[in-house]
Amino acid sequence: MKVVTANRLLDGEVVFWKAGQWVERFADAELFADAEPGEAAVAVGKSQPTVIVEPYLIDVTESGSGLAPVSYRERIRALGPTNEPTHGKQAEGGEAIEALQHASGAARSSGRLDLIRRK
Amino acid sequence: MYLYDALDKEFLADRSAEFRGQVARRLAGELSEDQFKPLRLMNGLYLQLHAYMLRVAIPYGSLNVVQARRLADIARRYDKGYGHFTTRQNIQFNWIKLADAPDILDQLAEVDLHAIQTSGNCIRNVTADPYAGATAEEVDDPRVWSEVIRQWSTLHPEFSFLPRKFKIAITAAPRDRTAARVHDIGLVARRDRDGTLGFEVIVGGGQGRTPYVGPTIKEHLPAGRLLSYLQAVLRVYNRYGRRDNIYKARIKILVAALGAEEFARQVEEEWGKIDAARADLPDTELARIRGAFATTPFETLPATSAIFEANKAADPAFARFVRNNVKPHKKSGYAIVEVSLKAIGHTPGDATADQLEVAADLAERYSLNDLRVTHAQNLVLPHVKLDDLPVVHAALQKAGLATANIDLASDIIACPGLDYCALANARAIPVAQHIAQKFADADHAEKVGELKIKISGCINACGHHHVAHIGVLGVDKKGEEFYQLSLGGSGAEDASIAQILGPALPADKVAEAVDTLVDKYLSVREGDERFLDTFRRVGMAPFKEAVYADAH
Ligand code: HEM
Ligand code: SF4
Repeated sequence: MKVVTANRLLDGEVVFWKAGQWVERFADAELFADAEPGEAAVAVGKSQPTVIVEPYLIDVTESGSGLAPVSYRERIRALGPTNEPTHGKQAEGGEAIEALQHASGAARSSGRLDLIRRK
Repeated sequence: MYLYDALDKEFLADRSAEFRGQVARRLAGELSEDQFKPLRLMNGLYLQLHAYMLRVAIPYGSLNVVQARRLADIARRYDKGYGHFTTRQNIQFNWIKLADAPDILDQLAEVDLHAIQTSGNCIRNVTADPYAGATAEEVDDPRVWSEVIRQWSTLHPEFSFLPRKFKIAITAAPRDRTAARVHDIGLVARRDRDGTLGFEVIVGGGQGRTPYVGPTIKEHLPAGRLLSYLQAVLRVYNRYGRRDNIYKARIKILVAALGAEEFARQVEEEWGKIDAARADLPDTELARIRGAFATTPFETLPATSAIFEANKAADPAFARFVRNNVKPHKKSGYAIVEVSLKAIGHTPGDATADQLEVAADLAERYSLNDLRVTHAQNLVLPHVKLDDLPVVHAALQKAGLATANIDLASDIIACPGLDYCALANARAIPVAQHIAQKFADADHAEKVGELKIKISGCINACGHHHVAHIGVLGVDKKGEEFYQLSLGGSGAEDASIAQILGPALPADKVAEAVDTLVDKYLSVREGDERFLDTFRRVGMAPFKEAVYADAH
């Protein structure tokens, strides 16, 4: 399963696609079972350059405690920095956040090659 | 310290206004992200995992009190109340909003601070010895030369689009606190037998994916010819650096490909073509800049202090602090005080706004309005009277800033890693925290002695792992965070690149492995050898065996 994510232009906040909107919580993100509708959402995102920066698809999976991004990097994006548990999205707490925090196993590489060029 | 004149101030204000316009055009959709990105990077603004990150230069690691307070203020108003000091004497704010960035740059400009050339393929903030003007070891004040280079390189039209970023470090002491030998150019000031000042010029050192200790291409460059010679080095690089391949674009690759001798020859040839009268700094200008640093109002004090001695005898915590964090000063009755940003369990190099303000207050009252930052991510109060040390120590203790661990195993350098950095493979901060816990017992840490542990979250090596006594590099192994250990590096005057210990370890085994390495060292060390000395004497085998015998 896949989710579309990006950073918001104005403040850099991590956002997720939900039926035409960009939302802040991973738990609210729209799930795509197939690649095509996800790619269509990415294409819409690319046409909104004053709203978000660099939309892309990420893999999510059942992690034992709920759905979570497969890659470690994306879990940290969905939560905030692990060294400051009160900073970022995780500060809100609650079940969905805890599920993400306890997601384990099956982490795979970010799958995003050539990051040095992207930055 | 050097203060900006009207020209400098006008330039900073203009630059900030220009960026405000660029941000407005980006938000209005007149600039695409591809067009805007290079512009924001020229102003130190990155997009990281959770927010924008602003990197502010601290030229030659020197802050006055007003500047330090302003950084605290920015941390509080625009960030989450803290900042991260980096290995290149910059400070990074992790939670910046694009829309706020122009205001922040204005507020920095008000106190002569900026983010210019903290990113991009230009000459970056020059790093210098944080003990400048305070240590008796130095043959000249490196801040003078750093300021010269800062003025010369800022928006230098010829060198604003180099093949790749370009980093210069400068020291004037035999003990190198700048990692000069692993910079694109390292300058080590020396005096001839007849007292003439010159620089050893080291070119083509570097870290990243291909680490090199730079070779010396000139033993004694007359100091007055510095700028023309730098110009010649940069011209050769600008012409022949590998613009075709980002991974081969640093000057180190060019120097290694040509060989140091041939590179030096080309530089000499280029140098010969440059009109020295136009390229080198006029003596009057040098004197003006020098004057700005020559006016530290030291008092004449006795070499010893009864208050200091009495406190040292009475308070073991203070005595420990003195042993580890207090260094000799060139003026009698003064000391250099290192303020550790490596409290056990905290994020290496992070300071809260409150801590920055405490440091600023102490600098104002007790250190002649001078605060420094080190490439090891700590702060320095460079000019503290021996008489004042007990009060300063007590104030630092109250602020959580008195950890007595400078250059000990818990004084770990760590980059932001995957907790913040968009390029990371793995986290660096939690690993540093785990390792530091192992050395939380201060007696144990002191017994182990000098041990420089440095951690990077990816091969870019911002955490200097290649030049660590024990280096830790985060790698991505089938999606899990793994860590490759390496031993025997040094970024100091005895620079060397660390060698890989063996297969990468999972995150939860790293601190344990470091502990094992240290136990091995303690069991084989001779006399007062440092970890590094022992490693150089006995080699890799015993350490490798200790760690991997345990693992299997
Ligand atoms: C968080 C955003 C950062 C980004 C995107 C970033 C990016 C990079 C990259 C791409 C390189 C490799 C350059 C090359 O080999 O050509 C590099 C090297 C380096 N960075 Fe960073 N870095 C970041 C933060 C830091 C921090 C926090 C520090 C200090 C702790 C730092 C200090 C250095 C140093 C010392 C090097 C190695 C020396 C060199 O090859 O220039 N950087 N960085
Ligand atoms: S070493 Fe890698 S992970 Fe660490 S700050 Fe540099 S680019 Fe980021």
